[in-house]
Amino acid sequence: MMLLQSNMALGLKEQIQGISADIAWLAPEITLVITAVLLLIYDLIFKENKSVGLAAIAFVGMAFSLALLIAGWGNVEGDRMLMGGMLRLDGAAIYLRALFSIGGMIGLVMMLRCKQKEKFFKSSETLLLFFGLVLGTFLMTMSINFLMVYVAIELVSICSYVLTGLFKSKRNSEAAMKYLLFGAVASAVMIYGMSWLYGFTGTLDFTSTAFAEGISQVAILPLSLALIMTIGGFVFKLGAFPFHIWSPDVYEASPTPIVAIFSSLPKLAALAILFRFVANLDITIIDWQIWLGIIAIASMTVGNFSALWQKDVKRMLAYSSIAHAGFLLVGVLAFSESGSTSALFYGSIYLLMNFGAFFLVQLFENNEGKTSFDVFKGMGSKVPYLGVLLLIVMISLTGLPPMAGFNAKLYIFSSLWESWQTVDSSILIWVLIFGLLNTVVSLFFYLKIPYYMFFKTREEVENPVIGSLTDKILGTILVAPLLLLFFKSDWLLNVLNSINFAL
Amino acid sequence: MIENLLTYIIFTPLLGALVVLFLPQSKTSSFKWVALGALGVTLVLSVLAVTSFDASVEGLTNSEDQLQMVDKAEWFSVELGSLGKFSVDYFVGVDGLNLSLLLLAAIVLFIGAISSFGIKQKQKGYFGLYLLLSTSVLGCFVALDFFLFYLFFEFMLLPMYFLIGIWGGPKREYAAIKFFLYTLVGSILILIVMIGLYNSVYDPVKTGMEAGVIENVLEASPDMISSIQYAVQAGQMESENIVKSFNMISMADDANYLPDSFLGKNSYGEIFGQSARWMAFLALLIGFAIKLPAFPFHTWLPDAHVEAPTAVSVVLAGILLKIGGYGIIRTAFSFFPDSAFHYSWLIGFFGLFSILYGAMNALAQKDLKRLIAYSSVSHMGFVLLGLAAMTVEGVTGAIYQMFSHGLISSMLFLLVGVLYDRTHDRGIENYGGLASKMPKFTILITIAFFASLGLPGFSGFIAELMVFIGAFKSSTVIGAIPYWMPVVATLGLVLGAGYYLWTLQRMFFGKFWVKDKAWREVLVDLNAREYVMLVPLVILIIWFGIYPATLLDLINNSVEGFTQLLILSVE
Repeated sequence: MMLLQSNMALGLKEQIQGISADIAWLAPEITLVITAVLLLIYDLIFKENKSVGLAAIAFVGMAFSLALLIAGWGNVEGDRMLMGGMLRLDGAAIYLRALFSIGGMIGLVMMLRCKQKEKFFKSSETLLLFFGLVLGTFLMTMSINFLMVYVAIELVSICSYVLTGLFKSKRNSEAAMKYLLFGAVASAVMIYGMSWLYGFTGTLDFTSTAFAEGISQVAILPLSLALIMTIGGFVFKLGAFPFHIWSPDVYEASPTPIVAIFSSLPKLAALAILFRFVANLDITIIDWQIWLGIIAIASMTVGNFSALWQKDVKRMLAYSSIAHAGFLLVGVLAFSESGSTSALFYGSIYLLMNFGAFFLVQLFENNEGKTSFDVFKGMGSKVPYLGVLLLIVMISLTGLPPMAGFNAKLYIFSSLWESWQTVDSSILIWVLIFGLLNTVVSLFFYLKIPYYMFFKTREEVENPVIGSLTDKILGTILVAPLLLLFFKSDWLLNVLNSINFAL
Repeated sequence: MIENLLTYIIFTPLLGALVVLFLPQSKTSSFKWVALGALGVTLVLSVLAVTSFDASVEGLTNSEDQLQMVDKAEWFSVELGSLGKFSVDYFVGVDGLNLSLLLLAAIVLFIGAISSFGIKQKQKGYFGLYLLLSTSVLGCFVALDFFLFYLFFEFMLLPMYFLIGIWGGPKREYAAIKFFLYTLVGSILILIVMIGLYNSVYDPVKTGMEAGVIENVLEASPDMISSIQYAVQAGQMESENIVKSFNMISMADDANYLPDSFLGKNSYGEIFGQSARWMAFLALLIGFAIKLPAFPFHTWLPDAHVEAPTAVSVVLAGILLKIGGYGIIRTAFSFFPDSAFHYSWLIGFFGLFSILYGAMNALAQKDLKRLIAYSSVSHMGFVLLGLAAMTVEGVTGAIYQMFSHGLISSMLFLLVGVLYDRTHDRGIENYGGLASKMPKFTILITIAFFASLGLPGFSGFIAELMVFIGAFKSSTVIGAIPYWMPVVATLGLVLGAGYYLWTLQRMFFGKFWVKDKAWREVLVDLNAREYVMLVPLVILIIWFGIYPATLLDLINNSVEGFTQLLILSVE
């Protein structure tokens, strides 16, 4: 293998020296691992009332990794190869990992505010899996080697399968089994495709020039097959059409905090891999833009139209996340500096909106133990503040001003427009038109929640248990950035401009 | 003259909305007074804006010098990778094209607030949303930055959706979502063009500042600007210095389009084999025609009107439709005058068709409010016809028609509301001989009907007359629309007289008869609050019918500048 070949020349001593020098750069990942170990030890030592301690350790660990990432922000100049060329550390990797730590912290808060809290914190196993998942997404953002990609994706996937089946009800198990089967097939196909590519090029590093040169020698048909299989695996993690079928069932059955994580972190991590992967594919050799364009259009359309018929909010949000995966792909499709920046912007806003939506939905779920639209019936007048927060999130998901979801859409489609102006490939204008018209379809189902809250009335008079002050504050913290980043989207964009996404 | 007058006008209702939000729920009776007070202040400030407007200023629509009461500040400016820098401004200002509509909005919103006193349930939410709606409507008329305009344009939909959906009639939910979805389709078309436009247009002043040619905005003399424009057009400007812009005034000037840009005047860019500029124009036109609404995009309007509460109907017909017309003037025609000329035949045809189709539909209606809704479609057709003519008279007529129809349709919807408040029924065939029971009401509705059908002495007459003059002149002056269009459009006037007079005859004349005996008791004549709403409108309608110069003098120079822009592009 390329990795071994290149390192063989170095000798074992140099290799170990190289690895130990790189360890410092992986401090955030190591923090996650250490936290997981601490959780395990804590679980062994204490017998009773473990939940407070476990939650505290988990939270501190996640916050510490975030702090490390922020501290390391300015230290990376250009990009740096780690672990013998397995990982590439650049600005985008740091930014995405910081975003994932924030997501992880929100996920932990959601677990704490969940009605079935004790299931998460009874013993350390759930949190271990959770940390494994986050660690996997961290690694995904940096992987540039097929083996590393595979390991990282599998780490995320295996943790996800178990987390889906966590509550051990019949529906949980069914969803977990479905997920496992789909995932196993997808990763088998992916690694098969990767093995072809390795055969063509003789390297596993898909960002190397050897890879690009190797690809240009191959006949179009086998190359297309290999690429379709490989990209298929990434698309599975991204949750985009046609590998989206697992997500509604999984989302409906899994505990809400877990779903919130599933629908954001792995998606964005898969996007990062896809970015790095297509960057080295010469568009004159193989027109991947048209494939991704079709996937994007299909995801947006299928996701939005399927969401129209849903009767369960979590299922609806699952389809909405499929549609958003399509929008995220638009950034890859634009294939430019502005495309990657606006995809990161979209991803960040999507993460916020998504956590906001699931956090607020969970409050209502706690109240009634289900997530059909009925739980929102007439709640607008009972808990107006939470109602307005949820309205803001839904409007932002639709992508209307004055919410940041609008800026996200504006920027991502602007970069698509720009790229269309330069390459004049007709698939791009179709994506633009379909993407924006899909907004109209999505409005219909996103407004369903406000519709149930404010237009419907409920007969029985009961005191809603939701809407404690803590919930309101947490909800506000999640939702306020959506408004703020509409009015001052330059704050986030300036941060994103300062990082270099190596294309 | 007050500094930042327009900003105060826009944000006073928003301030009112915040007051409403923070007042405790128990102070039910105070919400309406807050709303009325805030909109009263807005009205006074708007009148102040009109009186301090200098009608003698001349200039093409694409020059910032002819704008007055300008407030301009940088909102944000960012760099988006290879897309380059772009800046979004808070930029508001008035010229003759939007001044009259600003005044109209202030008047109608104030009267709508009085009419809202009849709302009894969930007053806090109602008045909060009403004030939010007011801010976005007012903002939409004065915003001159496309991003800001789009914000107000889109944000209007949300309060409207809730106002129709919560306080509306029996089928309110259907009507609310239909309204929202239809208008959103239009907005999306506008958004696509907006993306294309800001990628094609640069801001000469900011580009100059970026390049270090000038230090600040004050140094940007016209000569300086044109030399910067020359440098950009000649490709001498470094591309990293170019600042793209959402400025709607800049977008109307060909010199501000980047030389290789897609939507520039000399661009050979094509979308689906058609000229990109034509397609962009059509997208803007359809986007705003949905709002206007013109045939065949009008089907949301009758539903929305019938289900909306009276005050919301008044705002919808009185102001919201005008945003469609204003949008066509300010964006589609100003940015793409050559395309407007290319499609003037089509625009005129759809105007004509809306006039006839709306009128014929109105004839067939059994619900009084639906009748008036269709008559709005018919009257908005005149706006399109006047614009398609591309002559000074035609454009003046279009603006005058918007102003006049805003007043008349508000009055009509208020009058329908008067009847509906009493009986909760609007069926035309359920009433007869109301004149004997409600004489004063009958006098007012007769005035409104006559004004609407275009009788001399009322504002509608002036408007339609000017549209006809403009449309007849068009074929000789500029050749935008053929002679037969205004000829056929006169049929619309006949039909208009037909449905109004027939309605008068069926509902008001003859022997008093109502469907339900219980109504005999409740059908009392107008009360004081209703007089307060209606009498000022009557006075205004007659005033602008007799002294059209009040408005014409204000808008004349700007309309000249606008048509000049159109003619220049054709030559």
